[in-house]
Amino acid sequence: MATKKTDLIQGTLDLLILKTVAHAPIHGYGIAQRILLTSKEILQVQQGSLYPALHRLQRKGLLKSEWQESGSGPMAKYYTLTASGRKSLQEEEAQWQRYAGAVALVLES
Amino acid sequence: MRFPWNRMETDLQRELAHHLHQLTAEYERRGHSHEEAMRMAKREFGGSEQVKERCRDERRWAWMSGIRQDFTFALRQMRRSPGFALTAVLTLALGIAANVIVFGVLQALVLRPLDVPHADRVMTLARTDQTYPIFAWPEVRDVRDGNTVFSAVAAWSVESVGLEANGVTRPVWGFTVSGQYFEAVSIKPFLGRLLQRADDDHPGASEAAVLSWAGWKSYFGADPDIVGKTVRLNKHPYTIVGVTPEGFNGTEKFVLPSLFVPMANQASFEGVDWLESRRNKNVWSIVRIKDGVAMPQVRAELTTIAARTARQYPKDEEKLGFKLTRPGLMGDFLGAPARGFLAGVMGLAGIVLLAACANLGSLFAARTADRTREIAIRMAIGSSRWRILRQVLVEALVISILGGACACGLAWISLTGLANWHPPTEYPLHFLVVGPQPSLVLMALLISVLAGVLFGVMPLRQIFKTDPNEAIKSGGIQSSAGRRWALRDLLLAAQIALCCVTVTAAFVSLRGLGKALTMDLGFKPKQAVLAKFELSQAGYSGDAADHFQRQLLERVSQLPGVAAAGYAHTTPLSQDTSGLAVFSQQTTDFRASNKAFSTYYFDVSPGYFAAAGTPLLAGRDVSFTDTAKTPAVAVVNREFARRLFHSENAVGRYFKNRSGLSIRIVGVVADGKYLLLSEDPEAAAFLPISQEPWTKTSLIVRIRPDSPDAATNDMAATIRKVVRDLDPSVPIRESSAWNSQLGLTFFLSQVATAALGLFGAFGLLLSVAGTFGLASYTVSRRMRELSIRVALGAQAKQILSAALGRMLILLASGSVVGIVLGAAASRLLSAIVYDASAQDPFVLAAVALTMVLTGSLSVAGPVRRALHIDPANLLREQ
Repeated sequence: MATKKTDLIQGTLDLLILKTVAHAPIHGYGIAQRILLTSKEILQVQQGSLYPALHRLQRKGLLKSEWQESGSGPMAKYYTLTASGRKSLQEEEAQWQRYAGAVALVLES
Repeated sequence: MRFPWNRMETDLQRELAHHLHQLTAEYERRGHSHEEAMRMAKREFGGSEQVKERCRDERRWAWMSGIRQDFTFALRQMRRSPGFALTAVLTLALGIAANVIVFGVLQALVLRPLDVPHADRVMTLARTDQTYPIFAWPEVRDVRDGNTVFSAVAAWSVESVGLEANGVTRPVWGFTVSGQYFEAVSIKPFLGRLLQRADDDHPGASEAAVLSWAGWKSYFGADPDIVGKTVRLNKHPYTIVGVTPEGFNGTEKFVLPSLFVPMANQASFEGVDWLESRRNKNVWSIVRIKDGVAMPQVRAELTTIAARTARQYPKDEEKLGFKLTRPGLMGDFLGAPARGFLAGVMGLAGIVLLAACANLGSLFAARTADRTREIAIRMAIGSSRWRILRQVLVEALVISILGGACACGLAWISLTGLANWHPPTEYPLHFLVVGPQPSLVLMALLISVLAGVLFGVMPLRQIFKTDPNEAIKSGGIQSSAGRRWALRDLLLAAQIALCCVTVTAAFVSLRGLGKALTMDLGFKPKQAVLAKFELSQAGYSGDAADHFQRQLLERVSQLPGVAAAGYAHTTPLSQDTSGLAVFSQQTTDFRASNKAFSTYYFDVSPGYFAAAGTPLLAGRDVSFTDTAKTPAVAVVNREFARRLFHSENAVGRYFKNRSGLSIRIVGVVADGKYLLLSEDPEAAAFLPISQEPWTKTSLIVRIRPDSPDAATNDMAATIRKVVRDLDPSVPIRESSAWNSQLGLTFFLSQVATAALGLFGAFGLLLSVAGTFGLASYTVSRRMRELSIRVALGAQAKQILSAALGRMLILLASGSVVGIVLGAAASRLLSAIVYDASAQDPFVLAAVALTMVLTGSLSVAGPVRRALHIDPANLLREQ
């Protein structure tokens, strides 16, 4: 199982979290699952990285959190983007696109 | 109450629990059983504590709450081992308090300059031929008038003055100052004006007096309208023209004058005119160096002036030479021994601090070793080294801050006590300048934190080097135990040695004081009353004074219970002595370099020797029939006779004084102590007061030896009454048991003994703490090994030598080194303490006994524990 999955490139985790949270309020486990699903099970986010990252983003004021009833039972902590989180997401997304495009150009040449 | 970090902690807990729950649910959905799903979820999730720790690190409050946790943890740890905490705090408090107190005194007496503008330019003149910086007024005047390097040169002397204000006459201490005195100190008056050059122009130039702040407060109730009021000083009317500011207490740190009067009027205060004499050295000096003038230039000019004066007055000034020293402590006369003694005590304080640090070091080392397992576990579950370091740091910090605070409290109390304390003397001595300084608190805390943190963190090195697995398995660092000498062993030996030094010093000074209290003074201060007064303060002089004194003596001698009575111009060991140059009978040229020696002299009345209890060994007492018209006679002590004639057979022989007068020796008395207890035998001469009248009077009355103890004080009161009956306007400076007036003489030894005794006690306490700590630590660490030995049949003696043999070696070697060091150090004490010697077998025995007693006392507990080991129990437990 582990062999199929790719480790995240350093620094991309924050971007993935922001993007995932942007869709709708979501809890930590949900974020990990969603990234796994949307990346067709390639990108596995370890809890050991996920939660510290969530706390970091919160400290930076990019995310805010709230305890809510989860669909499947107990209360869960739901994360949403703040205004500056939304702005930061746009910037980081654009930067990533540029970066990925550039890498692709080099590889295709 | 809920703190943000409490909420975040629960949040984190719940969030991770939720994740785990979801993961479990996911596995269940995939068809695993609940238990299996839980196990798989946990495995996938990994170490939740590590995740939490990393989340905490990311948190806004991360470092704050971490520190807070560390503090709570540290406090909890201290509560769990109060013995360790108490010892460590006490150790630090003692070590630091000792230093702060000594440094406070040092700062006040030596380091801090006088409280005047540009204090670095203010110096005092000193003599090149002796350390006591006393001059004749013409000598200071020569410097004043012949120099180009000083902006002001002034002389001053201390005078007891009868101050008559609001109908009461009180003896107060004043300075007579020459005209440029207040220019030299450059202070601004608090009220009115200060004395100026014109006030001191010639005798009677002005009747102006300036009050010191203290005098203004204590004698005039801080009267704001004081300027312009008239008071009577020794019966002469004076006008108060001003008050000095609060910080100014004259130019000597010990002496607090109440008022300042022009020196030109000196004769009218004392009844004796010495102002123009080059032989009567009665004044001290104070000078202010001009801005921009360098020291070499000053020295060159002083040399020129001295040479010029010596040429002009070859008979009196042959050896004149000037130098400059720092003001405040009578130049180098008090300054040098005070600096020396304080440096010595500072050294001892430093030793105490070193010992305290060594103690602290071994305490922390032992403690850290005990906690190896705990720390290893914490490292194994993912705690970072920094986190552990921080924890230990915080613990050390808590202890050092507590210790520092205790030290500050101790030091503050002691220094305030010192500042409010008057030495036992009639002189206006005072430690007012010593008060506690805020900067000292800072210093105390700084040393404390430095020491605590340094010694708290040092032992961690050994832990970080250790493999956690090993540590957990073996329950502590065992590998190195018992083989090589650990750092803490050396620290303990060093500490014992240092403490031994302080103990030795304490015993040496105790022994010295004991000897001083029982030594032969050459007179017997017990069962005698000493009354002092200055007749010039009541307007007497010459024959009138002589008449009054004789009348008083007659009346006192007739009082019931009086065994003998006599008077003198001053008494031995009263800090007020007069000197006389002695020339042999053959001398014709009376320049200073031709003198045989200097002698103390006392002008005494008949009956003085009987009253003072000084044995008359040969010849006769002085008599009232020795007058100015009969040949000059003297009674001398044995040392005088030995020095002049190399024999004690002196009666009937002659010596000459500086003016060439032949004086016949009519009696010889026993030797005594005249200025200091620690002095070598000194020559003394006793001249008939009827040949040289004085207004300054010290009346000695000896009561019958069979009288009860209280009789001395009753007699003191009776004498007051007799003096008052004769003339109520005579202000009595003192009338009390002679014993009690010798306070200041024994004072130096007492202060030294108190200080050293305190350090000795500090040292002992520290070594007890250190030895006990390390001994009990050694035993508890080797419990398992000792149990096995007991189980295998070891005897009590073998157990003891196994457990504490090394300790005993450490104790013994430390003590020996300490005694040797202490013996070397106590040579320094001989300047202050009478007959200080560490070679005294009594001292050596006492130190050795003390160390053995302390040593056994501090290892007694651990020894008991080692001997009562129950191997079965212990081996089962571990």
